[in-house]
Amino acid sequence: MDILLLIFGNGLVWMAGIALLLAVPLRGSAALEGGLLPWTLGCGWFAGAFALTLWMRALSAVQIPFGILSVGAPFLLIAAGGAVLFRPGARAAGMLSPRINAASLLGAQLQGWQRALWLAILAWLVLRYALLLGEVLVRPLYPWDAWTQWGTKARVWFELKTMAPFVPLAEWLQPGNTSYIDAAPHYPALVPLLQVWSALLVGAWNDVLVNFSWWLTALAFAFAIFGFLVRRGLQPLMALVVTWFVASLPILNVHVALAGYADLSMAAFLTLGVLAGLQWVSTRQWRDAALAVVLLAACVTIKNPGKAWLVVLLPGFVAALLPKGGVKVAGVMLALAIGAVLVLAQTKASVLGYQLRLNFVSPWRGLSDAWFAFGNWHLLWYGAIAVAVLGWRQLFSRELAPLTIVIGSGLLFLFFGFAFTNAAQWVADQSTVNRATLHLAPLVALWMALVFQRWHEAQVAKAPPASAPTMPETIAAA
Amino acid sequence: MSAPETTPVAIGSARRAIKIALVFVGALLLCILAYLAVAVPASWFPSAQTRAWSAKDLSVARGAGTLAGGELVITSADAGGNVLVTLTTDFRSSEYAAVAWIAVDLPENADVQIFWRNEYRPERLNAVAASVESGRIAPVVLAGNKDWVGRITGLAIAVKGTLTKPIQIRGVVAKPMGAVEVLRDRAGEWFAFEGWTGTSINTITGGADVQDLPLPMLLAASVLLTVGIAFAWFRFRHGAAVVPMAGVLVGVFVGAWFLLDARWTWNLARQVAETTRQYGGMDIRGKHVAMPDGPLYLFVEKALAVMPKEPARVFVVADAAYFRNRAAYHLYPHNVYSAPVLNVIPAAASMRAGDWVLVAQRRGIQFDPAQQKLRWEGTQVVSAEMKLVEPGFALFKVL
Repeated sequence: MDILLLIFGNGLVWMAGIALLLAVPLRGSAALEGGLLPWTLGCGWFAGAFALTLWMRALSAVQIPFGILSVGAPFLLIAAGGAVLFRPGARAAGMLSPRINAASLLGAQLQGWQRALWLAILAWLVLRYALLLGEVLVRPLYPWDAWTQWGTKARVWFELKTMAPFVPLAEWLQPGNTSYIDAAPHYPALVPLLQVWSALLVGAWNDVLVNFSWWLTALAFAFAIFGFLVRRGLQPLMALVVTWFVASLPILNVHVALAGYADLSMAAFLTLGVLAGLQWVSTRQWRDAALAVVLLAACVTIKNPGKAWLVVLLPGFVAALLPKGGVKVAGVMLALAIGAVLVLAQTKASVLGYQLRLNFVSPWRGLSDAWFAFGNWHLLWYGAIAVAVLGWRQLFSRELAPLTIVIGSGLLFLFFGFAFTNAAQWVADQSTVNRATLHLAPLVALWMALVFQRWHEAQVAKAPPASAPTMPETIAAA
Repeated sequence: MSAPETTPVAIGSARRAIKIALVFVGALLLCILAYLAVAVPASWFPSAQTRAWSAKDLSVARGAGTLAGGELVITSADAGGNVLVTLTTDFRSSEYAAVAWIAVDLPENADVQIFWRNEYRPERLNAVAASVESGRIAPVVLAGNKDWVGRITGLAIAVKGTLTKPIQIRGVVAKPMGAVEVLRDRAGEWFAFEGWTGTSINTITGGADVQDLPLPMLLAASVLLTVGIAFAWFRFRHGAAVVPMAGVLVGVFVGAWFLLDARWTWNLARQVAETTRQYGGMDIRGKHVAMPDGPLYLFVEKALAVMPKEPARVFVVADAAYFRNRAAYHLYPHNVYSAPVLNVIPAAASMRAGDWVLVAQRRGIQFDPAQQKLRWEGTQVVSAEMKLVEPGFALFKVL
C-alpha cells in the first residue's frame, strides 16, 4: 500500500511537471521532433520536483502545515488540467498510442543485430534499475551525511509539518532559541523537501521509503538524456548506448542505491539545465529556455556548490549566445576568473565554505586513482581523453564550442578546487573527489558522444564516396 | 528547428565485427602478457605451492593481542608504540618470491616493516619496508633481495604508529609468484565482492580494496592496442580508409565498457541479495534494530518514551562520532545537538533546566545520584536527574 501511495504521489508530481512543460507551446513543427517525448517525460520529473519544493516553501512561509492535501492538491489540479488540455493533441500526434509506443520501445524500427542489440541494452537497463530499486526499497538511510545533514532536516520538517529553521551552534545556544541544528545547518532544502513529500504520502517517517525519489530521479534522468540525444540527431541505438553509459556509471548507481545525498540531484539538474539551455540556443523554443532557467535555478537549492556551478557555466553560454567571437569572449572570461581567484587566494578568503590558498597541492595521485584506476567511472575518462584527441578539430566548432567550454571550465573548476583549496585533502582520501566529479560527469559522457559523432561525420565528408558507409552497414536505421 | 542531420556510425559486416572482437581478445592477452613480464619476479611456472600460516601460528612479541574468530586481533602497541608479530617458518627462499601478511585495519600512516631470518646468518634480522593501502599491507616481493637466501627460519611484522582501531591479522602467505598465481591473484582482486561500507558513497574501488592491476586500466590499454592494430590493418590492407575506424572504436569501447559493467552489475546483484538477507521482510523498526547501531536505537526508543512529546533540547554525547550522530538522528524531532566531528560537550553554562543529556558510551561522565549532579571534563557540572540507564547508555534531565 505504501508503495502504491509513493508511486501515486510522486507520479502526480511527475505528471504535473510534464503538464507545466507542455504549457509552454512549441512553435512550428517542433512538437513532432524525434526525442521530444522522452525528453519531456524525463524533464517533467525535475520540473515537477522543483515546483513541489517551491510550493512547500510557500506553504511554510504562510504557515500552512504540510499535509497530503495542502501539498498535493495543486499538483493534482495541474496534472488533471494538463491531461485535459494536452491529451487530445498528444493523442493526435500518436504519442499516447500504446501500440506505437510499445513498438518504439521494443526497437521495431530496427532490424537484425541492431534490434537484438537494442533489446539487449534495454534489458540490461531494466535489470540495472530493478537492482537499484531492490536496494532502495529495502535499505534504511545509510550513508553518513544522509542522516547527519540531509535527512535530519526532512525528519524535523515532516514531524513539525513546516520548515523549522536550522542555525549554527553559536546561534542555537542563544537563550530563547527554538531553531534546530544539525551537522550542516546552512545546506539547501530541495532534497529534504522531496523526502518530506514521500513521508507525507506514507504518513510516517520511514527512512527506507523516503528514498524512493532517488530512484525516480535516476529513471527520469535516463529518459531525458535519451530524448536529448535523439533531439540532437543521434540515431536511437547510439542514443541508447550513450544513455546506458551514463546510467551505468558505478558512482552514479551508488548514489541511487545508497540514497540520501544531494549529488545525484545536483548532477541531474545541472546536466539537464545545461542541455536545455544549449538546446534553446539552437531551437529558440521558449519551452527549452524556460526549462533551462528552472533547472539551473534549482541548482542553487540543491547544494551550495550549485551557485559556483552557475558561474562556471557562464562562459559556455556566452559562447553559445555569441556565435561570432563568443569563444574568445569565453576565453577572456575564464582568464579573468582565474586571475580573480588568484587575487582572492592571496587573502585566504573562504568561498562557499572552501578556503582558498595559493599553495598548490598536487592532487594527481588521488585524481588519477579516482578517475582511471578505481571502478567509479568505468572507461568514461579514458573515452573523454580519446575523443578530445580524435575530435580536436571539432571541439570548438560552432555547434560544439559551448558544450566544450562548459566541460573545460567545469574541469578547471574541479581541478582548482582540488588543488588550491582545503578540498585537496578530500581528493587524497577519496572522500569528495568522485562526488564533486559526479556533477559534471554526465555532461562529459554526452559531450563525448556528440564530439565523436561530429568527428565521424568529418571523416565521412573527407573520405572518397566508396568508403562512406552504406545504409545496411549503419549502426541504426534512420 | 529540427534536429541536425547526422551520419550513422558504420560497424561493418558481421564478419568484420568478429575479426575486431578477436583482435580485441588478442590485444587483451598481449596486455596481460606484458603485465606478467613486469609482475612475475622469478620463475613463470614454479614447482612450489603457496604456503599459508593461519593466525594461530603467530605470536605477539610486542603489544597486546588475542586470538578471536580465526584472527589475531592486536588491540594495543607496547609503551614505545610498537607492535611485533612473529612466525616460525622453514622454507626455501628460492621457491618463494613474495610474502603477504593478510591484515586489515592498519593505520594509513603506520611504519610497517617485514622481517625475516635465514639459515646462513640466523642472528641477523633482515628487514624491508611494506606499504599500507586502504588499511591493508601490500605483498612484499623479496626475490632478488640479497638477504632472501637459503632457508627462511622466521618471519615477522613490525608496526609503529597510533592504532586507531584493532589490527586484525588473518595469517601469512609465502607466494611463489608464478604467472598463474599472479593472474589468479589479479582475478581475485577484480572479482572480489565489494559490499557497501561507509565510504562507498565516496568511491568504488571496483573489487578488492588494493589492486595491483586495475581492470579499467587493463581494458583501456587493450582498447588502445586494438584500435592501433585495426588502424594499421585498414591503412596497409585497404589504403587510407579512416571511416571504418569509427565502427571499430565504438565496438571495442562498448565491449570493454560492457565487461566492466557486467562485473559491476554482478557486484550490485550480490549486494542486493546481501541487503535483502539483512533487512528483507522487516518493518522499519526491525530494520533499525538490525542495523549496527541497533542497541542504541533501542535505548533511544526507551528514552523517547520517557521524554516529553513536545520537542525539547537534547545534548548527545558519545566518544564515537557514529554513536553521537546516530543517537541525534533517532532523537529528532527533538531539538538535538551532537558535535558532528569532535568529541566535545558544550559548557555547562549553555544548558538550562528542561534540557536533556543522552550519554552513549562516553568516558569521563560522572553522575552523583545523592547530589543529583552531572559532571564532565572534570570541571563542568549541572544539576540533573537520571531518567534512564542501561549498560553504556544513560539519559539525564537537566534541573
